[in-house]
Amino acid sequence: MNILIHDLSNEHFCSLFSDVYNDAYIISDIGTIRHCIGCFGCWIKTPGKCVLKDGYENMGELLSKSEKVTIISRCFYGCYSPFVKNVLDRSIPWLLPFFKIKNNETHHKRRYQNNMQLAVHFYGENITAEEKETAKKMVKANCINFYVKNYEITFSKSINELRGEVTAI
Amino acid sequence: MKICIMNGSPKTAESTSDLLIEYLTSFLKGNEVVTYNVCKTDFSQAQFSQIQSSNVLIFAFPLYIDSVNSGLLRFLIEFENRGFSNKNSTVYCMINNGFYEGWQNHVAAEIMRNWCKAVGLNYGQTLGIGAGEMIPFLKDIPLGYGPYKNIGIALEELSHNILCLNREEDLYISPNWPRFLWKIVSSYSFWYPKAKKNGLKRRRLNETVD
Repeated sequence: MNILIHDLSNEHFCSLFSDVYNDAYIISDIGTIRHCIGCFGCWIKTPGKCVLKDGYENMGELLSKSEKVTIISRCFYGCYSPFVKNVLDRSIPWLLPFFKIKNNETHHKRRYQNNMQLAVHFYGENITAEEKETAKKMVKANCINFYVKNYEITFSKSINELRGEVTAI
Repeated sequence: MKICIMNGSPKTAESTSDLLIEYLTSFLKGNEVVTYNVCKTDFSQAQFSQIQSSNVLIFAFPLYIDSVNSGLLRFLIEFENRGFSNKNSTVYCMINNGFYEGWQNHVAAEIMRNWCKAVGLNYGQTLGIGAGEMIPFLKDIPLGYGPYKNIGIALEELSHNILCLNREEDLYISPNWPRFLWKIVSSYSFWYPKAKKNGLKRRRLNETVD
């Protein structure tokens, strides 16, 4: 299964990407998502599942079934948009609370053994050079923490330009 | 000096950020210090004006997926959209993460620097603290001693720079404790007892949802 996480409006998404997402599982903003409250319930209460029931509680399970994750996000200060970041914050059930050492750094052990590919497509009119560098570092760090070996990052100035970058999901 | 501390922890229970703010404010006595939780407050214009008139803004928050959490991010964007007329404030950050290495907060620190540039504020310094989840469990130990030694020294340096409005290189610290020991203790004294309180046996923590 392929997953697409995006922050576009339905109108934009349908008009620009209806021919490329095929049977990908789409995660978009339906207006119900709640912030991760750092309770660790997904690790120590209901392992693998978030305790907040808002339609986004199954992110760990969804990621466990995915081969490729595509993210379309506006870039803010070198970070994702709030919605996309919210989805990623809610994705820690894919991991275990326990630690291991990787490249002389501590990281969480993985709950699932599937290997994902990641494609991150940032867009925004005025993304600065510093913000691009920060975004690259952030995505690389995400990949280390989620055991992703293959990833790509693109930056577009507009949603229309973004359409040219996203050829398949 | 007017100092505004922005707590960026979305936790409902007492957080590491709460505790770090408590420690830091003990170094800032004699100044006008106001604290807000950005994830739990809908800011009124009066509160926003109070933030704007501060000499110093301090953000204290936990690392979420290598960066700032979505609640804090929403606040940062709202802050930029409202506009910030007073460009004389200096921003400092205290970022804690669950990993051992404080260095792993450096991307979040860059995001905060980028935000400062977007808003037009000065950036003072970051203090990135590793093993943040451990801190509340050791709060009976005086700051500056034992596992708290590094945090005590770093907070003293950060508070000095805040009070002098110095712009300095970022500080990244790990606990004054061996990493292998911290790794063992985190499982046996933290995750397993917490799971047990919820009626879960150890092996259940590794379960998958299919």
